Amino acid sequence: MPGRTINEATRLEAKTEDVAMADAPTSAQSHAEESHDTAETMREDGEENGSKQGEEEEDEEEQPPAQRIRVLPGSTTTAASYEFLEEGHTLGNALRYIIMKNPDVEFCAYAIPHPSEPKMNVRIQTYDTTTAIDALKKGLQDLEDLCDVVAEEFWTKRNEFAASKADMMSE
Amino acid sequence: MEYDTMMMDNESLGPSVKISEADNMHVNFELTNVDISFANSLRRVIQAEVPTIAIDLVEFAVNSSVLADEFIAHRLGLIPLDSRQIDDLNYSRDCDCDQYCERCSVTLTLHAKCTSDEVMKVYARDLIVSHDRPNNQIGNPVIMDPDGLGPLICKLRKDQELQINCIAKKGIAKEHAKWAPTAAVGFEYDPHNKLRHLDLWYEIDAEKEWPKSQYAAWEEPPQEGEVFDYDAVPSRFYFEVESAGNIEPDTIIQEGIKELQRKLAGLIHGLGETDGMNGDYDGPRSPDQNMDGGSGWQDQGFTTPYGNAGNQSSWGGSATAYGTTPYGNSGQGGW
Ligand SMILES: [Zn+2]
Repeated sequence: MPGRTINEATRLEAKTEDVAMADAPTSAQSHAEESHDTAETMREDGEENGSKQGEEEEDEEEQPPAQRIRVLPGSTTTAASYEFLEEGHTLGNALRYIIMKNPDVEFCAYAIPHPSEPKMNVRIQTYDTTTAIDALKKGLQDLEDLCDVVAEEFWTKRNEFAASKADMMSE
Repeated sequence: MEYDTMMMDNESLGPSVKISEADNMHVNFELTNVDISFANSLRRVIQAEVPTIAIDLVEFAVNSSVLADEFIAHRLGLIPLDSRQIDDLNYSRDCDCDQYCERCSVTLTLHAKCTSDEVMKVYARDLIVSHDRPNNQIGNPVIMDPDGLGPLICKLRKDQELQINCIAKKGIAKEHAKWAPTAAVGFEYDPHNKLRHLDLWYEIDAEKEWPKSQYAAWEEPPQEGEVFDYDAVPSRFYFEVESAGNIEPDTIIQEGIKELQRKLAGLIHGLGETDGMNGDYDGPRSPDQNMDGGSGWQDQGFTTPYGNAGNQSSWGGSATAYGTTPYGNSGQGGW
């Protein structure tokens, strides 16, 4: 079950269901089938009208880059774990580094819990001077800025190189 | 002279690039003053996530060659196609059409029949590209040999025939290697192994048995009896990027960084939306709450963040002055 539940009520509900499931496997199965059907129709209708269905069953093939972040349970304002879908080491390691550079951040680490699940977790713990979510946002923005700097630097040097090469040819 | 001092300054302050070699298939450069995590992200993104176009669907009308349909289909997929204006093309999955159309695909046809007694060779140049495509170079088979033939697809004997319709689509190498823009990427740092990230195997003397990289000459060799620095981190990275021919090597780097920024813009966008919606004490929450609330987080956002994200990360433009970020300048950012 891709439990993407957030609020307490739903989470408790899910928990009790879990316990009951062992006793009533049939009901769990029919539920799973149901939600699968919903996903199927969503695909055929196109994305637009499907979203209202309330079911958040993941569309396995049709829309893979649905990038999402969720907060893992047990998080507080200054200490939180975020789960990124469809992200990996490419983003994770660089993001971890840049968040850690923020002096308001006490701790930051990332992990890919299992190689066959497209999930990447980031843990952030901050001092009282900021919040985990702000540190995450700042990290994303800083990385974007770093990209800008490197991109500009690369292109400048590329042009200089091309110019110097042209000079050498003409001499 | 003034120019030189500026260079020195930049080097001490922020990320710096030095290009040592570049032609239409390669670019070799040194990236300095960035963390290894960022340098590696750049390597990963140019190898796996820069979009290109490649043949993805193949319809066989006639195939009386000795090769099986799927064998030929696979070979066709691996032919590099011109992907330089790839932004003009949609991903089929994001396109409005049902399966594929001229906005998200390029059609190539191949019709060859051997009528002589000699073996006939069918090359990539024999592929005919349809005219209804976003621009008139995208999807052209990349042909670099002096004879202008391109890769060999198949050989036909007398009376054997191929009649094929190919649909080329946009994709990334993370999905299938045929979409890779790079043929090979060299990535190295610390040529003297001062940081001891490597534990070199040896029979008698590692120093003698392991040939030095060409970049060893660029860095100070370790001094006799030098004490190991536990705090040292790598800061100079040597890239050797070889293009597969579908995109120029320098553009691969450019597109790679753009791709990283696209990721970031999508995430920033997603997080931004959450903010307005939940003002609860609970603080950080995921975008899912939005989805429950029926806001169009998913629809309007992420699949095409380019429009809005573009300006923040624009290339041509002024967007981020070197000085305004904490990287380019020692400045105000505080770190
Ligand atoms: Zn289309």
